Amino acid sequence: MERNLVMIALFAALIAALGLIPKITLAFGVPITAQSLGVMLCGTVLGSRRGALAVLLFLLLVALGSPLLAGGRGGLGLFVSPTAGFLVGFPIAAFVTGLIVEKWRNAPLTLVAGIAAALGGIVVLYVFGVIGMSITLDKSIAEATALVTAFIPGDILKAAIAGMLTAALAKARPNSVLSRA
Amino acid sequence: MISLTSPVKTPWHSWPAGLKLGLLCVATMVLFSLENVFLHLAAFAACIGLYSVPGFVFLKVGCKRLVFLWPFLAVIVIWHAVTGTPVEGAVIALRLLTAVGLANLVTMTTRLSDMVEVVKMLLSPLRVLGLKTRPLEIAIALVVRFTPVLAQKGRDLTFAWRARSPKKPKWQIIMPFTLLAIDDAEHVAEALRARGGI
Amino acid sequence: MTIGAIPKWCGPMFEGRVERLGTEGTTSVVEISDLTYAVDGTEILHNISVLADEDRIGIVGRNGSGKTTLARVLAGLIEPSSGVVTVCGCELAKDRKTAVRTLGILFQNPDHQIIFPTVEEEVGFGLLQLGLSKPDAAAEAHRVLQSFGKAHWADVAIQQLSQGQRQLVCLISVLAMKPKVIILDEPFAGLDIPTTRQLGRYLDQTSATLIHITHDPEILNAYQRVIWLEKGAVEMDGSAKAVLTAFTNRMEQIGASDDISHISG
Repeated sequence: MERNLVMIALFAALIAALGLIPKITLAFGVPITAQSLGVMLCGTVLGSRRGALAVLLFLLLVALGSPLLAGGRGGLGLFVSPTAGFLVGFPIAAFVTGLIVEKWRNAPLTLVAGIAAALGGIVVLYVFGVIGMSITLDKSIAEATALVTAFIPGDILKAAIAGMLTAALAKARPNSVLSRA
Repeated sequence: MISLTSPVKTPWHSWPAGLKLGLLCVATMVLFSLENVFLHLAAFAACIGLYSVPGFVFLKVGCKRLVFLWPFLAVIVIWHAVTGTPVEGAVIALRLLTAVGLANLVTMTTRLSDMVEVVKMLLSPLRVLGLKTRPLEIAIALVVRFTPVLAQKGRDLTFAWRARSPKKPKWQIIMPFTLLAIDDAEHVAEALRARGGI
Repeated sequence: MTIGAIPKWCGPMFEGRVERLGTEGTTSVVEISDLTYAVDGTEILHNISVLADEDRIGIVGRNGSGKTTLARVLAGLIEPSSGVVTVCGCELAKDRKTAVRTLGILFQNPDHQIIFPTVEEEVGFGLLQLGLSKPDAAAEAHRVLQSFGKAHWADVAIQQLSQGQRQLVCLISVLAMKPKVIILDEPFAGLDIPTTRQLGRYLDQTSATLIHITHDPEILNAYQRVIWLEKGAVEMDGSAKAVLTAFTNRMEQIGASDDISHISG
């Protein structure tokens, strides 16, 4: 019981801490904030329920006024801004990602985790993100989608990296990959 | 951990958090149902007015907290200039600024601990059903306690990378970072159990 | 044998000669002039000026005296707020490419330093960053491991190694890049005595200049020069014997008091 709680809390802290370190680069020198990668990892490593709870805990603290989002951002304002949809989508994305990793067992973890991260962290997340943008910016779904397409290639890279990281973690700390426990 | 609550005292610091949040919900719903540009101008002016009451420093910080919206505002300006619909653009932009501004105002005038109390209160019906809220309080405390610890370790790892490479750290650095979080989790869980558990 | 400061322009000309003539030390120049470093308005290092070219330099001070910050500034990982810091004639904070070639740094906790999951990847990382191709870096990593008698460690997972072994991997990774200066930021803290001795022996064999940061004066007994840092400023700077004696006396004095109660800031 304690272990579950602490893992959830520490992964929430990890997402926050990933926003506090300087930007890292993906392959080809594309810079990203590591934070969204952290959300994908919550799903792939902790699984659906715990992963979603970790992300929810993180969001709760952001809502309560902690500057945990990359760039020292936080507070209630974010939840009525155009990025609100993405914030709402994060825990759901983590849940879907975790679910796929939990259920799809007969393929290499790198592949499973990568695809799970893509389906959850891109497809599901962007559905919510686009809806949120469409409401706050008063644009149609199609128009809002056009605004975010530029970010998708970077996110596909991120999903691939999430896959590799998960597989490496499973080798280094097999007991901690709770999605496959 | 630094919080977003403003050290500048305002009349609203002493208002109950629940009241502020309730008013915010109402205000946001009203804002998103209005379409008249003059009403939005008035609302925005009122918002600025609220920020000005505690003084210039407060107003400055408040404005800084809106800066993150600039890409969206830019998109709105360009879009509506190109499509020849400036009034609609103005409505969207003003609404955005006012809504985010009011929400940030609540954040800036409410302490984290008071917010936690509201959360506990909202969850109290669940307590009646038998669910305990203590785990959530512990979880929140753990995140607050360990975020700076992990951030420091992350910074140390970026130093370790930059000590051997002139380039910026790549994604591989997240691996040892995650391991540190997992190892810390094991130790903390042990300590928690040793102190009686949840 | 130490040779005095070599002008920058003839450095490359002399280096080869020094290696052939001398066995004890590669000459290096550490030049710090008027270094100040402040963060968020708090000054952590005040007006530090040091000129050093001994082979074995120690930096002592209490925890919180700024020694670790000084180490990072020297390594070029942090830029000074004001003042100039050069190592071997180069401002490492501004020229990271030269920096990784010139200086290596060993941190206190190997778990905060090791980035890759296996020994050969970790050792090879620095070599890749120096510009070697993947196969060359791998080959050189193996060669270096072999020179330490650790060829069998190549595909071992870091997971399987003890604290002391991990710290050795960090040391090997640093030495593989053949730096002229190595900063040691309390690398033996938390290690048992035998491990400390063994790692110390590996360090003794290097011809690089060692700058050893520590709060434990015992380690620096064989060193030539020691700088004592107190609350971010140089308290004393001179021969190891003199400074260490004064430092130890003062620390005993403070130990008899109760300043642990004081909260800073």
